[in-house]
Amino acid sequence: MTDTQTHDLRMTRLIPATPDEVFDAYTDAEKQKVWFSLLSDEPGIVEIDVDLRVGGIQHAKWGPSPDRLFWEDQTFLEIDRPHRLVTSSTGGTPDGDTMTTTIEITFEEAAGGTLMTVFQSGFPTEEMRDFFSTYAWVGAFDRITAFFAG
Amino acid sequence: MVQQAAVLDRAFAALSDATRRDILTRLGEGPATIGELAGPAGMTLTGLKKHVQVLEDAGLVVTEKIGRSRQCRLGGERLDDAMAWLTFYQRLWERRLDGLEAYFTLQKGLTE
Repeated sequence: MTDTQTHDLRMTRLIPATPDEVFDAYTDAEKQKVWFSLLSDEPGIVEIDVDLRVGGIQHAKWGPSPDRLFWEDQTFLEIDRPHRLVTSSTGGTPDGDTMTTTIEITFEEAAGGTLMTVFQSGFPTEEMRDFFSTYAWVGAFDRITAFFAG
Repeated sequence: MVQQAAVLDRAFAALSDATRRDILTRLGEGPATIGELAGPAGMTLTGLKKHVQVLEDAGLVVTEKIGRSRQCRLGGERLDDAMAWLTFYQRLWERRLDGLEAYFTLQKGLTE
């Protein structure tokens, strides 16, 4: 495998607002609580606090109940309002597993709003992708294909 | 938590070797003894045992002594752990991007 791009998670979305507005809504704790719960049938628990400065941390917790909480701590590495945001993210599951990755988000002005691009790297997926791209096994091939297509 | 990361590190280190991936592929067809694995791989029993040991330590292969031979089979739990992380973040970003899009779409609707 020579393509190094697809070992990471990349998602792009056109958000109907200016880069300033999107950057603000994305990083403001109170606004995050609103939009993060917006489309959920059962919002459950959503806790977010943000210390938006280089070295500061955003703590987020969400889940259906207090004993089934997922969480993510993002440490801000680079803040270039309203263009770019780089963080180190550690995610956690209710079972106590954690994983640390790097997230880079860009906010680009575009026709109809802001093109928000998420690039998350550091997943230990290189060997995994090489393996699954050659051999379908335990049903994971479909899942990994869907993941990289997303 | 640190222990979990170490387990994942071992799994991916184990997968980085072509011979070990071949062993996993063979075991994907069904269990096999060390001897059955060594033949097609063109390896000595000792050499193959070392690779199987790495895979076993990583939680990718389970071995069991049956009579005079050691039978190997897949143990896929560790890879499922890694897949769970990809799914975790994919869902998180979908929720965030969908939420942001809906937030501004609604705001626009209210102001127009």
